[in-house]
Amino acid sequence: MNCSRVRKWIPLYAGADLSARKSRHLEKHLEGCANCRTEVEEHKAALAGFQTLADREALDWPEAEWKALMVRLRSEKPERHRGSLLGPTPRKAWAYGFAILLVLGIAALILRSLLSPPAPAVLSEVITVTPAQPSRSFMKESAASGTSPQDVPFEVRTKQGALDRSTLAARPGSSKPAQDILSLTLVSQETGLKVHWTFNRNFEWEEKKQ
Amino acid sequence: MVELILGGRTEAFEPLITPYRKLLLTLAYRLSRNVEEAKEISQETLMRAFRYLGSFDRKRSFKNWLLQIEVNVWRTRGARTVDEGTLRELAARNATGDPEERLAGTEVRERLLSCLDGLSPREREVFLLRDVEGRSVKETAEVLQTSSVSVRVHLSRARVKIRNLVKERFPGLMQAHR
Repeated sequence: MNCSRVRKWIPLYAGADLSARKSRHLEKHLEGCANCRTEVEEHKAALAGFQTLADREALDWPEAEWKALMVRLRSEKPERHRGSLLGPTPRKAWAYGFAILLVLGIAALILRSLLSPPAPAVLSEVITVTPAQPSRSFMKESAASGTSPQDVPFEVRTKQGALDRSTLAARPGSSKPAQDILSLTLVSQETGLKVHWTFNRNFEWEEKKQ
Repeated sequence: MVELILGGRTEAFEPLITPYRKLLLTLAYRLSRNVEEAKEISQETLMRAFRYLGSFDRKRSFKNWLLQIEVNVWRTRGARTVDEGTLRELAARNATGDPEERLAGTEVRERLLSCLDGLSPREREVFLLRDVEGRSVKETAEVLQTSSVSVRVHLSRARVKIRNLVKERFPGLMQAHR
């Protein structure tokens, strides 16, 4: 084992804080390395110097100040429980609980996205074949304004007239005169999918798919 | 004794705290390097210990709990720079004068203590608790509310700095201890 590898262990070794396994490796290295041995000795000498100082240097309160402090303390009243929001429960427990809730929440979101049913076929097809430009997504407007559909991957047919009998029969107030309607057919040029939309004056619509 | 105090016998706090009065004041001084500030830190520590005695976990060491409060008080006040005048005052006050011991001279002790100024606040906390107060790595981590790994990292850095400073300022001390 080379010096650069074991040198980082020396400060902890000098204070007997290195693990037994690493200490054995280091001691084996020290047997053959005078430089590292010197470094260990220097660390030990510095620590011993401080510890000698510590033993001789303890400060103490002047007796009068200490008595005055004790009198002051006695005039107060200790609280039975700390006024902390977390109370006596260790903060770590709250942190772990929060982390678990967070993980469960993320897992639930992922599961939901995996298990949720796909979007309706017609809608997904329309979205698939509709280019990204927002003006193209609103087909009714371009059809009504008579713009050329060449750049749109749909064949758009519109007609005005009355709702068919079956549709009218299914509606309340069907005895009234037929309303003006707008029928819109979208045909995907790539897949051949046809979507029929029929709107009445109240903007109610029904859809037929082929 | 804690129950007694919480039950209203507040005079029992003095015998409970007396064994630690030197320890708290000395650690506060080593952290702040200022006598007056050390007194204020110790006083605040005792006030908090008394006020929050009800939240003391009986399974823990009371001494470590006090040390934890003191370190927190020191952190709350913010690390201060060293006042050299105060150092001299303290050195003079604590001169015990053992002529045969190399560290007896107040000047030497003053300069040796000044090596602590080369450490960051966290390194100083770790070094003082582990190497000067003799707490274990685990206890130091508990007092500082951190992990043992973090303590080892800061301790290692602190010892390297201390060794370099002592070697530079006290080459004779290195020789004497070998």
